[in-house]
Amino acid sequence: MFTVIHGQDMNKPQAKPKTRHSGVRQFLRHPLWAPLNQRSAWDRLATAVNPLWSLIEARARVEKIVDEAPGVKSLWLKTNARFKGFVPGQHVLLELEINGARHARCFSFSNASDKDGLIRITIKQKANGPVSAAAHALRVGQIVRLSQAQGSFAPRSSDGKLLMLSAGSGVTPLMSLLQAMKNENSSRDVVILHCGRTQADIIFSDELQSLAAQSANLRVHLHATENGGRVNADIISTLVPDWKTRETLLCGPDGFMQGIEKMFADAGRSDYLQSESFGRRAAPIDPNAAEHAITHGNAEQVFTVQAGQSLLDGAEAAGLQPRFGCRRGICRTCQCKKLSGTVTNLLTGQVSGPGEELIQLCISTPQSALELAL
Amino acid sequence: MIFKTRLEGDALKGFETELDALRLEVLNDIGERDAKHIRKMRHIVQASAIVGRSSLMFGFGPISWVAGVIGLSLAKILENMEVGHNVMHGQYDWMNDPSLNSQTYEWDIVCDGDHWRHSHNVEHHNHTNILGLDHDFGYGMLRLTESQKWTPSTLLQPLWYFLLAINFQWGVAVHDIKIGRFVKGRMKYAEFRERVSPFLKKAGLQLFKDYVLFPALAFWQWPRVLLGNLIANLIRNIWTNAIIFCGHFTEDVQTYTRKEVENETRGQWYLRQIQGSSNLEGGRWFHLLTGHLSHQIEHHLFPDLPAPRYAEIAPRVKDICARYGVNYNTGGFWKQYAGVLVRIVKHAWPTRQRLLTNASAT
Repeated sequence: MFTVIHGQDMNKPQAKPKTRHSGVRQFLRHPLWAPLNQRSAWDRLATAVNPLWSLIEARARVEKIVDEAPGVKSLWLKTNARFKGFVPGQHVLLELEINGARHARCFSFSNASDKDGLIRITIKQKANGPVSAAAHALRVGQIVRLSQAQGSFAPRSSDGKLLMLSAGSGVTPLMSLLQAMKNENSSRDVVILHCGRTQADIIFSDELQSLAAQSANLRVHLHATENGGRVNADIISTLVPDWKTRETLLCGPDGFMQGIEKMFADAGRSDYLQSESFGRRAAPIDPNAAEHAITHGNAEQVFTVQAGQSLLDGAEAAGLQPRFGCRRGICRTCQCKKLSGTVTNLLTGQVSGPGEELIQLCISTPQSALELAL
Repeated sequence: MIFKTRLEGDALKGFETELDALRLEVLNDIGERDAKHIRKMRHIVQASAIVGRSSLMFGFGPISWVAGVIGLSLAKILENMEVGHNVMHGQYDWMNDPSLNSQTYEWDIVCDGDHWRHSHNVEHHNHTNILGLDHDFGYGMLRLTESQKWTPSTLLQPLWYFLLAINFQWGVAVHDIKIGRFVKGRMKYAEFRERVSPFLKKAGLQLFKDYVLFPALAFWQWPRVLLGNLIANLIRNIWTNAIIFCGHFTEDVQTYTRKEVENETRGQWYLRQIQGSSNLEGGRWFHLLTGHLSHQIEHHLFPDLPAPRYAEIAPRVKDICARYGVNYNTGGFWKQYAGVLVRIVKHAWPTRQRLLTNASAT
């Protein structure tokens, strides 16, 4: 699965449980002992010897690359000790360097566990996706950065019948869950309906069929939309007549998920449907709009900015008081993180990407609705 | 004497457009090469700090002591100038590397990072050489133009300058506290205390590191470590001071009044940045050791472009200046620094203020 990510800081330290050593640790980490206790400095030394020996970052080495379908590759990654493991259905931020700049995107794990230190993520190349392109260009032996595992996409009930619906690379978290069930010899009744454009495009078709062959409780329906049309209520009702009695997990492209979500809403079954989408979706660019809605802060506060007006002016007109300095784009005091949406740089006319990046409020004007971390 | 150039109408617009286009061209080219450069610089800083500090702590004899001082001075100078100063300008924010982020970077000097970001990035770069607004002009201690007020103590300003030069990091560190304002009763004690506290904290940590922690770790060798650290800090102070003074206080650098910059356009802002700055000529390592402040003109035009780019665009900036008749102030280090010293000595005397005439519109 592959989407622009939002609002997650890869390098934010994980909350640590208090141990009885915490006093000692606090003492050792006191800035008085800098630079001797500076983790970033030791990290640079350690990673110069072996890039996996990072003291700070979860990193991994590409061990194996498998072609799963046209334009789809699986990366098998050997993680370092900083990576704390995952549970099936979770995802991770994969961070790659593209022309000197770090870019991170969310991908679901597509294997069941990292007991042997190996994780698998499966990546479909996107048309205008620099990160998926860079991921596809990776070679065995190269090093990547990871976040810790995130998310909680998994059945809520521990027994009871399940339905899994997926399209394209949306099958990845479901693959992870299915493999885990097989490893546990689960006796759960599971149906998965998974589609792709053509038979050849269906990701993991062999793997799913082999799982089904090994388990009497798993039924697999592989659906090629080129022949059978898009998955709709009729197709689901025909293939899985008892779908209304099953807890359902859904993952796939936006349009696909919206159709299924509507079907469940119409049947009053929304409570039994869980969807995996990585964060919110970036708003579309609208150059003709007179004003754009800017969401900021945790409380989902909103203000509007006129087309062509700087975000700083707009925020101030709305009674907000963001930090600012020069108001001409040189000092970076007003720099803040844009979580999603598109802006134009008033000085250079450059248009930003739709995802997460740092922008300067005083020289940025919105081209779409935005989300900011003010 | 060189007079200030003022551009108007189409010339001003053309000047602005050409510089904007130059900036955009470099912005579009930024990438891998710049990332590699800053990482390499940081590695050199770390390596020379380790070599320098360990030869001070564990070496024997005067040669290892000198080597230690050189290593540590190099680490401090490169860290302050090529890494710290440039990173804090946001030159590498595009890398999305949290350890090279302008708003969180903290450098190896007694000046608190947030104080620097305000006094330098906001005040100095925005208001460059505007008397009364750019507090870097003379640092509130020195009279460098006729327009500044003369008092009898100004006669001693060569001495004040010498003291500032050898203690430069302290001058920079207390700069954003605005002690003068407090002394004159224009700042409440509560605000003053709030402004002092980050300075005290940072200075305390730096003093502890250089004069307690590392000497103590060398056991009986502590005197050579203490002295070595002191000398390394002194070398860094004198060097950075000389470079920074050469950037804005050489003989032909112009100053501006608040009235002159009312309703200033970006083109006029560019003009002021160029005429308020001066460059130094030298080799690659000279430029690196100055943190590319030897290209002060280019740096002031585009403070957030990765610094090594300044050397590359300098000929083109110079060409633009030549075509629009703007003085491009450059020269060797000794020529420019002599100009600074002349300026300090000259204005120690009560030089009379020139009347602003149309002569300036040459």
